[in-house]
Amino acid sequence: MSLFELPILPTLGAAAAGGCASGGCASGGCGTGGCGTPSAERTSENSRREFLKTATTLTLGAMSLTLLPGVTAGDDMLPLPPPGGEGHVPAAKPMYGFLIDTTKCIGAGKCLTACRVENSVPDGQSRTWVERYVHYKDGRVEVDLVPETGYAGSGEVQPAAEDVLQAYFVPKLCNQCVDAPCNQVCPVHASIKSPEGIELVDTERCIGCGYCVQACPYGIRFMNHDTGVADKCNWCYHRVMRNEQPACVEACPTGARVFGRIDDPDSEISKRLATVPTNVLKQHLGTLPLTRYVGLTDEVT
Amino acid sequence: MTSFNDTRHLWALGACLAAVGLVGMVVRREMVPDDFGTKGPYRASALDDIAAQPSLFQADATCHACHASVEHERAGKSHETVSCAHCHGLAVDHVAMARRGAEDPTVTLPPAAEWDGDFLTKADLYISKDRATCLSCHEAVVGMPADFKKIDVALHLEEQGASEPLSRETCFECHGGHDTAP
Repeated sequence: MSLFELPILPTLGAAAAGGCASGGCASGGCGTGGCGTPSAERTSENSRREFLKTATTLTLGAMSLTLLPGVTAGDDMLPLPPPGGEGHVPAAKPMYGFLIDTTKCIGAGKCLTACRVENSVPDGQSRTWVERYVHYKDGRVEVDLVPETGYAGSGEVQPAAEDVLQAYFVPKLCNQCVDAPCNQVCPVHASIKSPEGIELVDTERCIGCGYCVQACPYGIRFMNHDTGVADKCNWCYHRVMRNEQPACVEACPTGARVFGRIDDPDSEISKRLATVPTNVLKQHLGTLPLTRYVGLTDEVT
Repeated sequence: MTSFNDTRHLWALGACLAAVGLVGMVVRREMVPDDFGTKGPYRASALDDIAAQPSLFQADATCHACHASVEHERAGKSHETVSCAHCHGLAVDHVAMARRGAEDPTVTLPPAAEWDGDFLTKADLYISKDRATCLSCHEAVVGMPADFKKIDVALHLEEQGASEPLSRETCFECHGGHDTAP
């Protein structure tokens, strides 16, 4: 009989009794000492089975404690079916929409300043930004960011107009996806899809793990240097709740940003969306963004 | 037929599991906010917390409530859609004092300051006739829509025969701020 065939309990018991303390069991000399007699083996089998039975019962009993009322999750916390899948119900019915008209943006950066001041966003970070796409006549496409106070006085070297085929500005902000990936990955429920359909950050609950920053396919979320927790464009939720326009919309001098109720057919945005064809960013991802764009080219992602 | 006698091990195990379960329940009750899950899978009062953030960027309607003449002056003109804040600052203090002054006549508003060159000025009201303010929108940049009034500054000043092309307020030789028609 090898060491591996020996029942565990008697071996331990014998070892504890000192009879096999010097490893004698393996030498066979221990066999006559009662270590591996048939009766002892049967006893150990039975007691092990009983032990497992009792232990399993106790464990299941302890686990069933979590079924007590007050400890369990409510009906509203049941996991949703997978996004986009059959029977999927959005957490909130979207009330608001955002329309960006790239043909109207002049790249003045007024929206950027307004957003930073309104939401106390630290320098070097931004909840919204404006990209400039420059298509050159030789086929190149270059993208750069509009400086916060516009190009005037920024000292940036401008492309020569005669080399440029076309150029346009594309403001970026939170898409408020109906199926928001950033919302789904939050381990502490600090990502909130408000009843109005606006994605918010509960800065009190956020632990700053940064999963949502990586989950957002649009790069909207960032870790706020000042607060150490996640930050994002929330369409100026505080203003919207007071029936005010988001700061960037208020600041835009050309009407390139339109915000309003999409559940009201008489609102400006509803009328615009009903008459002008629009696109969303990265439609193939199926995140169902609420921010829609006029004049989006394939180069914009 | 023998049976397993050391039931005290099982009792000890059971007691440990029960203790762990109890501690888990207490910790969970402490950690989960009271209003968690009442509106959705989040802390319901967070909505109110976020909505309580003050609005800093003034809508033009706030300014027009007192400055009706400016609203009239801008009506139908190209600068009608330009936010007051771009040339006059956020004027948070100014608006707050004006609201107090509406009830208490002893509150007087300080005069507007000179523009300090910072677009982020939060509290002060200023009147900027600085060309930098005008050019932050109107200096011609690749990418601007064709119908936007953009200018090549040097060329424009030369063409129009500006008397002091290097002056900060040179734009105001011909244009107004509210009604920009030359």
